[in-house]
Amino acid sequence: MEPLILAVAPVAVTLTVNRIPVAAAIEPTRSLLSLLRAEAGQTGAKEGCDDSECGACMVLLDGRPVNSCSYLAVQADGRSVTTVEGLGRADRLSGLQQALLEHGGVQCGFCTPGMLISATALLATTPDPSEDEVRQALAGNLCRCTGYQTIVDAVLATAGVAGASPAPPA
Amino acid sequence: MATQEQAQPEAIRPDGVEKVTGAARYVADLARPGLLHGRLLLAGVAHARLLGIDTTAARALPGVLAVVTQDDVPDVRYGAFVQDRTLFARGTIRFEGEVVAAVAAVSAEIAEAACLLIRVELEELAPLLDPEAALVDGAPLVHPGWESYEAGPTVVRRGNDCAAMTSVKGDVEGGFAEADIVVRERYATDMTHAAPIEPHLALAEWQGDAVTVWSSTQAPFGARAGVARTLQLAESKVRVVVPTLGGGFGGKCDFHFEAHAAVLARAAGRPVLLQLSRRQEFLATDKTRHPIAIDLETGVRNDGTITARRARIVLDGGAYTSDSLYSTELALMTAAGPYRIPNFHATSHTAYTTRTPAGSVRAPGGPQLCWAVEQHTDVLAERVGLDPVEFRRRNLVTDGDTGPTGQLFRNPAAVECLERAVALAGWGDDGGAARLPDGEALGVACSWWPSVPAPSGAYVKLNADGSGTIITGAQENGSGAVMALPLLAARELGMQPGQFSVLHQDTAAGPWDMGSQGSQTTINNGRAVVAAAAEVREQLLALASDLLDVAPADLELAAGVVRAKDAPSRSVVIAALAARAHGGELLLGSGSGTPPPLPEHDLSACSGRGFFGAFGSPSFTCHISRVRVDRETGVARVLEHTAVHDYGFVVNPAGARGQVEGGSLQGIGLALSEGTSYGPDGRQLNPQLLDYKLQTAADAPRFRVAFVEGSLAEGTPHGMKGVGEPPVVPPAGAVGNAIARATGARVRRLPMTPERVWAAANGIAADAATASTDSVAEA
Repeated sequence: MEPLILAVAPVAVTLTVNRIPVAAAIEPTRSLLSLLRAEAGQTGAKEGCDDSECGACMVLLDGRPVNSCSYLAVQADGRSVTTVEGLGRADRLSGLQQALLEHGGVQCGFCTPGMLISATALLATTPDPSEDEVRQALAGNLCRCTGYQTIVDAVLATAGVAGASPAPPA
Repeated sequence: MATQEQAQPEAIRPDGVEKVTGAARYVADLARPGLLHGRLLLAGVAHARLLGIDTTAARALPGVLAVVTQDDVPDVRYGAFVQDRTLFARGTIRFEGEVVAAVAAVSAEIAEAACLLIRVELEELAPLLDPEAALVDGAPLVHPGWESYEAGPTVVRRGNDCAAMTSVKGDVEGGFAEADIVVRERYATDMTHAAPIEPHLALAEWQGDAVTVWSSTQAPFGARAGVARTLQLAESKVRVVVPTLGGGFGGKCDFHFEAHAAVLARAAGRPVLLQLSRRQEFLATDKTRHPIAIDLETGVRNDGTITARRARIVLDGGAYTSDSLYSTELALMTAAGPYRIPNFHATSHTAYTTRTPAGSVRAPGGPQLCWAVEQHTDVLAERVGLDPVEFRRRNLVTDGDTGPTGQLFRNPAAVECLERAVALAGWGDDGGAARLPDGEALGVACSWWPSVPAPSGAYVKLNADGSGTIITGAQENGSGAVMALPLLAARELGMQPGQFSVLHQDTAAGPWDMGSQGSQTTINNGRAVVAAAAEVREQLLALASDLLDVAPADLELAAGVVRAKDAPSRSVVIAALAARAHGGELLLGSGSGTPPPLPEHDLSACSGRGFFGAFGSPSFTCHISRVRVDRETGVARVLEHTAVHDYGFVVNPAGARGQVEGGSLQGIGLALSEGTSYGPDGRQLNPQLLDYKLQTAADAPRFRVAFVEGSLAEGTPHGMKGVGEPPVVPPAGAVGNAIARATGARVRRLPMTPERVWAAANGIAADAATASTDSVAEA
C-alpha cells in the first residue's frame, strides 16, 4: 500500500461560532466538528461515530441542523455555526434546556448537545409540533439511555410555552 | 402495599446543567500540553498464526512518535476469570478485533495512516464459529495452551468450554413423570452490543514513574488493576480518573485500553489520547452480549402446574473468557425464572470461538434467557388451555416458595407486579383481543433479578460553611446512581441534597469500588455514604450537646439544624457547628457498611457455581408490550410498553423511571433490531450503526411505568433494590409473545427482524442459520 499523502497545505477559513468570529488555517481534509472542538474551543458537540449515524455532533449551520462530523471545515467558510454552547448559558438556559432537565431527559449527556440542536431547529420551523413530528425530527439523534420519552415530552412542553423556543441565533 | 406512581416531583440531577450547556467534560474534551493521538491496528482476520510485524515504514512516517506491539510490554496475561489475554497479539490471532499494534502521532490522521503502513505477516487458520462444534471432544482448541493459564477457583476447563455450570433441584425425572404434557423448544440469539454513544477512550500521561489515565471506563478500580498487572506497576503508581462518562451499559466495565494508551505515552514521552472508532467499538471491545442457544423442556399438569424443567444453555464466549462466568450463572438463574419449579436441571456451557469476546452487558444473560423462557411459558399456557396471565398467576413464586437453588422467598412481589401491569395495560379477560385492531396484540413477560451485594466505601465531610462533600470511589455512568448519593447523605444529616458536592470516579480519591456494574452503585455505595454520614451525625450531635446542654440522645437533625426533640426552639444551625468545628474538630466520617450475605441456599447438587448461587434481595418485574405486526412485511412495532418493577424503597423516582424507560427500549432493540451478523470468514458483516440498528425516537413506544414496593431489600439504605439492569430483561419476551399472539406464529431467533417474523408467519425458514435453530419438537 502506498503511503497516504498527508502534507496538505492548510487553507484559511473564517466563520462565526456562537456569534464569535473564528479564523483558522486548517487542512482541507478536516471536519467542521474537529474545527469546532479544537480551533474554536467548543467541545459541546461530540464525536460518537464519525459517520453521520448518531447525531451527537449536530450543530446549526446557518440555522440548519447538520452532522458536523461529515461536513468539511472549509465548507463552513463565511458561514455561521451554533453549537450547544450557543443555545443558552448556565445562568440563562433556553426553554428547551430547562425543560429537558425538568423532564429528566438527561442521563449520560453524550447525545444531549445534538438532541438539543435538533429540537431547537424543529421548534424554529414548527413551533407547535405533534408528538410524531417531534419523534421524526429527533430520529437522527441516537440516545442509548433514556428511551426518548422524557426528551420528547420536554420538546412538547417547550412548544406549548409561548416564547420559550426563540428562533436559533443566526 | 404502597405504590409509587410517576407523579413524584422530578429532581433535577446535579450534573444536569453542565450537560445541557455543553460544559460537561468527557475524555475526548480534555486537553494536555503536547497531546498526541493514538490509534489501534486490529488483526482484521478471525484466526491466524502471527508470523511477524514490520513497523519500519510506520515509524518512518513524519509525525509518528511511537509504534508499540506486544514486544514493548511485559509478557503477562490478564483476564477477569481466566488469564487468557495479552495486551497485543502474541503468536496467535483469535478474533478479527485482536489488537496487533498501536500508534501515537501528532494527528489522528497521521496515526491512522501509520497503522496502514504496518506490515503484518499472517498464516490464516480456519475460524471456529459454531459453539456446539467447538464443544465437541477433539475440536481444535482456541487456546491450545490454556491448561497452563492462571484461572479463578470456580473455572472448570474442558476442551473449549471455559464456563461449565449446572443448577440442580429436586428430581427432574420424577417431575417429568408427574407431568401430563411435556413441551420441548429451542431458541437462539444473535450477538449484540452495549453500544454506548461515547466510544472507548483513554488519555494517558506520565509523571516520573507514575501514570494517570483519564478513561471512559465504568470500573476505574478494575481499570487500574489491569494497568498495574499488564505493565507490572504498583497500583499506587496508577491513577484512573473518569471525567464524565458517556454511557456504558456494561461494555465499559473491567479493563480495556488504558494500558495501551499508557504504553504509547511512555514510548512517545508525551500524553496520548487513544480513541476507538465506531467500527472498532463493534469489533474490538471484549464485552458483547453473548449469543446463546437455549433448549428448554418443561412438564406441566393439565391444571397448569409446572412439575419439572430441564434446560441446556450454550453461550458463545468468543475468543477470551472476559467475565463470562457472570453471564453464564445469571443465565442459569434466569432459566428458572420467577416461577415455582420443584424439579429443575439446567446445564450451561460457554464456548471459546473466534468471535469478538462476550462479557457482561447490562443484565448479562438475562434478556436472552427471559425471552426464551417467557415465550416458552406462553406455549405452555396455550398447551393447557390457559390465558398467559392466568398461567403465570398459578406458577409465579409466592411467600414460602423456594428458588432454583433453594433460597426462600418472603412476600415476593412477583404476582403483585403481574396484577398491576395487567391492570395498567388493559389485559382484561382476553388479553385485549376484543378491543385491539387486527394485527395488534399484547404480550406479557415476567422476570427476576438480584440486588448484588458488594463492598464499597465513602467519606463524608462538612466544610466550614456547612456545605458537605461526599468522597467516593463510585462511578457515575449516566444513570444517576452517584447523583442519588446526596439524597442519602442529606436524609441522614437533616440537610438539603444540593448542599453536597460529590468527588467520585477517581482512584486517587475515593475508596475501592467495583464500579458501575451489577446495578450496585446506589445500594452498596449508598450504604457506605449513610454509614459515613452517620459518623458526621454523631460528631454534630456531640458538638450540639455541649452547646445546647442537651444529651445527644435527645437531639435530632432536621431542616439544617440540630435541635432538642422535645423543644425544637433549642437549636443550633449545622453551618454554625461546622464553623465552630473548623480548625479544631474534624467533621469527617468514613464508612463502608457491611454487605448483606446471600440468602441461604444449597448448591450441593450443582457444579461450577461461584457468584450468583442465590439472588440477594431479588426484584420482580412484569412488562406488557402492545405490538402491531404488518403481516405483509413482517415489520413489528411496539406501540406501548408497560413496565412494573418491585424496587423496594425508591430513593429517586425520576432516576428510577429513567432507568426503566431506557432499559426497556434497549430490551425492545434486542427484540426487534439489534444483532450482529457474521460472514463465513469469521468477520462481522454490520459493524456500524447504519446496519446495527439502535432504536430511535421514531421507533420508540410510549412507556407506562409503575413501581410496587414489594418486600424491602436487606442491607441496603431504606431497603432499596438494584434498579439499572432489571428493565432490560423482560421486554424481548413480552414483544415475542405479542408477535406470536398477533400472527399465530412464534419467532425463535433473536432479534425478531422483519424477515424472521415474516418467515415464521408464513411457515418457512428465514435463512439457513435460522433453519437449524428454529425447528421445534414438542412431545
